[in-house]
This record gives sequence, structure tokens and C-alpha cells, in this order.
Amino acid sequence: MCVLCSDFITQVHWTDRKKESANGEVVIGEGQRERQRSRLKRVQLCNEILALYRLKIRDWNGSKFILEDAKGNSRIVHDLGVLWHDVQELIGKAINPLDEYLISTMKNKKG
Amino acid sequence: MNAYNGKKPVTIITGCLGSGKTTIIQKMLSNKDYIEDFAVIVNEFGQVGLDHHLIKRVEERTVLLNGGCICCNSREDLEEELKTLLYADESGKETFDRVIIETTGLADPAPILFTIMSNPLLQNRYVIDCVITTIDAKNGKIHLKNNPEIYKQLSVADRVIVTKTDIASEKEISELVANVRGINPTCEIIYAKNGDVDPSVVKLNKSSIGISNFNINEISNRNHYSNDIHSISFTFSKPLNWVAFGLWLSMLLHAEGESVLRVKGLLDVGEEGPIVLNGVQHIIHPPQHLDTWPKEEDVSHIIFILRGISTETLSESLFAFQKFLDTEISVLEHLKV
Repeated sequence: MCVLCSDFITQVHWTDRKKESANGEVVIGEGQRERQRSRLKRVQLCNEILALYRLKIRDWNGSKFILEDAKGNSRIVHDLGVLWHDVQELIGKAINPLDEYLISTMKNKKG
Repeated sequence: MNAYNGKKPVTIITGCLGSGKTTIIQKMLSNKDYIEDFAVIVNEFGQVGLDHHLIKRVEERTVLLNGGCICCNSREDLEEELKTLLYADESGKETFDRVIIETTGLADPAPILFTIMSNPLLQNRYVIDCVITTIDAKNGKIHLKNNPEIYKQLSVADRVIVTKTDIASEKEISELVANVRGINPTCEIIYAKNGDVDPSVVKLNKSSIGISNFNINEISNRNHYSNDIHSISFTFSKPLNWVAFGLWLSMLLHAEGESVLRVKGLLDVGEEGPIVLNGVQHIIHPPQHLDTWPKEEDVSHIIFILRGISTETLSESLFAFQKFLDTEISVLEHLKV
């Protein structure tokens, strides 16, 4: 899915998909716990980067994410496909891993 | 066919006008022994001469999506035709095993990939199997010089068919191939005389991303006339954190997607087999998880084909994110033999 185009709810973003599996099925039991663990890990990793831009993301009901800035503005984010798009809307520019500031900050991070 | 999880495989054949696409397709269609039945979609105004019981002509019609980029435009004409073919196949009227889409000479293959992968119906019934780009052994050099669309077509290719080898010299052919490799180091190169190729060329070996095709000695530093296309490959000596990597890559594609012409990888994410990553600009194919590592390619690696982005900057970024990705990265200088 193109990250610049609209959010197709029927789509599973490629980062959410590891194994070739049937689409859109509800996962229960152990699979659900694994999925939730993976979501929380994702939130944690996202926040490592977002914090550098004074943004934060949190899981919402295991189905969506809420993206917030320091001024109290927030956005509901469906998946990573639109996360960076919403981030760009909030801060007015795209977060770019090729950006000097981001590169040097990540390089000098401890721990 | 079960090999494609019940979906119909699609092969895209692209290449400059006159590079021999139509001849190759015609020869493949006339091979009655080949195991697959093809449905063929060609551009309405393409060269005449293709004759087949299941051939459809379309007039290129692109829908520009709101705020979208070029690679994420939808080919409405193909969408309609692919749906029509599906209904015909299901009703038993006209059955087929594979669709061959022949593009115009000026076509950018990316919208075709996008159309099939993002349309809810098409993505469930079709899968992009292989992109083939034809290039003329005799005139290829001129095309490289004068036809900018060829760079996109070559960088997207899984296979490049060098056509008309019967009328070009060995030197011309090897120079051309060096230039092609300079643009796309991991594509498979096939040589065709008189348009003769085995029809099985339309099928891709999914467990290979072609790193065994990568030979640094073959890459010409003298270029390919386009100084802003460069490729760089990395290996990972530790399994990487797939979630972290997804963040880094999706961030990169959001900010610079149009410049990342291609990304291909066979990635160790700490499981039995690797994840096969395959992307064209903003479009990432659903990653495939293999059960085991392929014999000739058992190193976790990734290759980027970039336009207008320096490989040094990309490299710096990956190295800066190493800890985040929980891995150790090296630039792949050459493949050990």
C-alpha cells in the first residue's frame, strides 16, 4: 500500500504481515497475546524515534494507535502505512531516516 | 495453481519500443507444449501481430490518486480487464493459468504493480510473479542514452532479456550487460536470438532474490548514462528486529519512496527461514516467509537501487540505526564465490 495514499481498511500493511496467512481473520488465544506483545513492542520502538520530535504514540484497544504531540493534538492511526503520513501532518514535515539530525542522534544514542 | 495459493500469477513484460517484447510473447504463445495457458493483455495501440485466442487490448487509463505519487497511480484499464478475465475464468468460458501483461515502451511498471496489489478484489485473486524487461542488444545503448523510462523498467526487472543477440557483436552485448548490471545488479540476464526463449522464463524462482547473480566485476563504472542511479548492498551478521526494520523502511519509503527504485532482501529475523523482501518505490510486496534458507543464498542481505539518493547517506542511516535494528551491518563489497 502506498503510504501517501488513502488508508484502505481492508489492507494489511506489510509490516503487520510476516507469514503468508489468510486475510483479515480475527486472532484469538495465544495468537492474540502474541499480536498484542508485538504491538506494544512496535509502540515502544516507534516512540524511540517519535520522542526526538516530541511526539508519542500509544496502543488503543489493540486495534488502532493514537498519535499525540506535545500540544495535545492527536490522530488515530490505523497502521504504519499511515503513521508517517499523520506524523507529517502533525509536525509539518516528513521524518526522514536520511536526515542528518536523525542519523547523528541515533548514532549517539546510548543503551 | 497451488504454487500461488490459489491466485493467478501475473508476468509483466516491459521494455522500449522495438526491443522485441512482442516477438518474444508471440514465440511463447506458439509453444503449444508449455504447461500453462496464458491470457495476454496488450496495449491497444501496440504493434499488431500478436495472435492468441485469449488476448485483450486495453487503452492505458491512469487514475491519479488524491495526494498520491506517480508509482501509486491506478491503472483503471487493467483493473477492469483483470476483473473481466477473472469472471470469464470462473465461469469456465475462458480459462487460463497466468496473465501476461505487455506494457507500452514508455510504461512505468510500478502503477501496474500498485493496481494489482492495492485493489481489494485483485489482490486476493492475482499475484505478481515476475517482471521481465527486454532490451535490444544492438540498440540498447542508444535507448539507455535517450529513453529515461528504461531505468525504471530495468530497476524493477526480475529478469532482463537481451534480445537480437544474433545481430550484435560480443563486445556490444557485454558492454550492454555491464550497463544493465550497473543499474540492477541482481536481475537474471537471459539472451534471446530471434525472440526465442523458453516460456518458463515467465515464472520466477521465488526463493532467490538474485544475489547469486551479483558479481561486482561485471558492474561497469563507466555507466549507464544515468549518473544518479546507484545500488548498494548490505549484509547482516545478526538476525534483525523485523518490527524495528519495518519502522525504518516505512519511514524511508514515506520520505523518499520515489527515489528508492527497488529494495530486495533475504532477511534473517531470527526464525528458521528468511523473510523475502521485495519493493518497488512505495510498493512493498507482501513479505514471504520461507521455511528454509535457499542453498546458494544463505546470507542475510539487502540491496537498494536508488535514484538521486547517495548510497553513502543510506549507508550512514543504516549504520546509525544498527542498535535500533538490533543487528550488525556490513556493506557487501563482493560476493564470495
